[in-house]
Amino acid sequence: MAIISREQIVEGLVKILGKDQVITDEKVLKESSLDRYRKYEQVCEVYTQPIPAAVVNVMSAEEVSEVLKFANENEINVVPRTGHSAIEGGLETALKDSVVIDGSGMNKVLKVDTYNMQVTCQCGVPLQALDDMLREQGYTTGHSPQSKPLAQMGGLVATRSIGQFSTLYGGIEDMIVGLEAVFPNGKICRIKNIPRRAAGPDIRHIICGNEGAICFITEVTMKLFKWQPENNRYIGYKLDDQYMKLGFDCLREVMVAGYRPSFARLYDAADANMHFSGWLEEGKAILIWMAEGPANITPAIEAGIKEMMSKHPELEEVNPALIEKWYEGLNWGPEQIAEEAEEIKATQNIGITTEVSGSWDNIYEIYKTSCDRILAEVPDMTLMGGHSSHSYINGTNMYFVYYYNIVDCAPEEEINKYHDRINQIICEQVIKYGGSIVHHHGLGKARAKYVTQEYGSSYYMLKTLKQAFDPNGIMNMGTLIPLRK
Amino acid sequence: MRILGCFKAVPALDLLREEDWVADDSLRVDTEYVKLEWNCFDEGALEMMRKLSDLSEGLNVVFELDALTVGGKKADSFLKILYALGFSHAVRVESEEGAYTPPELLAELIAAYIQKKAEAYDVVVTGVQSADASHGKTPYLLAEMLQWPCISQVTGMEPAKGGCLKVTSQTGRGEKVQIVRPPCVLAVGNAPCAYLRVPTLKDKMRLGNRPIEYVDPGVLLSDAGAFADRIETLLALCPVDRSRDTVRIESGSPEEKAKVYYEQYLKGRLLKL
Repeated sequence: MAIISREQIVEGLVKILGKDQVITDEKVLKESSLDRYRKYEQVCEVYTQPIPAAVVNVMSAEEVSEVLKFANENEINVVPRTGHSAIEGGLETALKDSVVIDGSGMNKVLKVDTYNMQVTCQCGVPLQALDDMLREQGYTTGHSPQSKPLAQMGGLVATRSIGQFSTLYGGIEDMIVGLEAVFPNGKICRIKNIPRRAAGPDIRHIICGNEGAICFITEVTMKLFKWQPENNRYIGYKLDDQYMKLGFDCLREVMVAGYRPSFARLYDAADANMHFSGWLEEGKAILIWMAEGPANITPAIEAGIKEMMSKHPELEEVNPALIEKWYEGLNWGPEQIAEEAEEIKATQNIGITTEVSGSWDNIYEIYKTSCDRILAEVPDMTLMGGHSSHSYINGTNMYFVYYYNIVDCAPEEEINKYHDRINQIICEQVIKYGGSIVHHHGLGKARAKYVTQEYGSSYYMLKTLKQAFDPNGIMNMGTLIPLRK
Repeated sequence: MRILGCFKAVPALDLLREEDWVADDSLRVDTEYVKLEWNCFDEGALEMMRKLSDLSEGLNVVFELDALTVGGKKADSFLKILYALGFSHAVRVESEEGAYTPPELLAELIAAYIQKKAEAYDVVVTGVQSADASHGKTPYLLAEMLQWPCISQVTGMEPAKGGCLKVTSQTGRGEKVQIVRPPCVLAVGNAPCAYLRVPTLKDKMRLGNRPIEYVDPGVLLSDAGAFADRIETLLALCPVDRSRDTVRIESGSPEEKAKVYYEQYLKGRLLKL
């Protein structure tokens, strides 16, 4: 906790950045004390976390450096932030008199290099704007998370995010080239842009996924890919919900055969009903693939997948045009968030997601036992289901989707009564079967309490990294590594 | 008090892609791929019914809530939700999936269903209009067919003494509160709560699978074979010419102009009345 007063913190920040870049408006501070993990508190405008002393808008790596040096000297907890779309508590200000460092003003695309196929931008560049601009020129980052209309480059790298087309393009860890980040002592580090190197450990991964607990990301260089939507092919099959195990096996079959569709998804009936109820019968799960790339490759992927799936009589092919139309409306942005808030207020019904991963031999057990336990142990559930949306040669992810009614419960109690309880069940089942409790939203503060179980003996490495780079414990405390009670 | 809530499940048009707002050969926009949702006014109306029932707890009155829709099989999932929310009876008047049923026919089907029921309904609650056709006629036509009074733009319902309802509605001059003795038709407008509550999975399992009453529309209509013929198909669209001739009364004082207007244009028409 800070060794100077709240007033001195604000004074010091104003000295560094000037008055205009230091925000102390109470409403902004309250809204900056949490993220969408505490969605219900957010909707009810009840704030249970310590309110930060200030939100500072930084405009350069040098300004970040000065702010971090000041925070480090005065042991002030800082929370790095760009798009404010986090959903696992990573942006909560867990300590008194924290400072939120907002990089969304650093929003310049610095270089589009179509010869070397890479783009360099500042941390506050919105992914949607970047990708829209690139697509106009026939390129794409290949990164398309559902949060695309909100998320910005710094946060996307910090949380080790992944997009809907990951099966072809990979997660953000596969897309990043070089990075610039500022460490708590004010040191600005650049990692140069090269295709690959074997000069020691890949230090980009100290930065990628650090969740603001080690450094502040100021610049990102990403790979570029050709954007050729005219060649896209869509493939879909429906199946009875009781064949979910077969559904996972079908995803595996395609991956093991060596195909690289850009997305590969399996929705159970509960989740599918929310997306496809216009034409999909109740009780039906759905398998979906999309092939992207050069014109002579996508038909081959389509034909290959169809040939494999034709051997499963449990599957019934669906009109690919229906899949194509659905996929184009998948992302959510500010309008959907505002509408959702109204709906939550009116119905006291809330929807949350938790994403995990597992190997092919345990993902079905993780899915099935988590759903069964939640339905048996948590009251007031109105929907429990999920989908797999990112597949690999050796396994896949599971994106649990659940809704519940908030009954006889104050806003500040909701997290304990429902959300954390569900998270706990999922994490317990994942750990029991040997998967990972976090696939792409980050540990945040919500799941930091399970970090030792997640890491096992390798927790030593994570803890040592944190201690080495952040010896004074000022970087987003409580994220990655839980606070001591 | 027995209340029948009439609703429609409509395509979620906001999910329709911009490029898909194109009329096909039969002059219809294809909404097959978008999911169905509660028609917004109907959703508010159904929630209002549930709230009315909640308010009756502790009072010496029981509100029995039933629900009716005219539609295809896809509407069954909506009726199951209403069962799970404590509705007593769910009815679907069978119609082809996505078929357009004109408001006159809808009102006739609902009225016939109500009149053929052995146990009389006291109140019918609907939304003021649907999102897909936006006629805004069904509740008024229904009230006329039933010979019941109709209150439109209803925003609230509460139990009142002596088997009455306290109904709040919006009028051109503000909010109006009336104590209403049934029977009546209530058309819900911009209700303060536009969202229907969500049933738990346990309630869905416990209550949601009760049998839905399926009604053949032909049985409800006086002319048994008439239903299919009366499902309207749009054949063409052409603009209505609303242009009118104009004469400017030149010169003179306003009084003289008024006199010319009366003598030359108004007097003759008034005499014909």
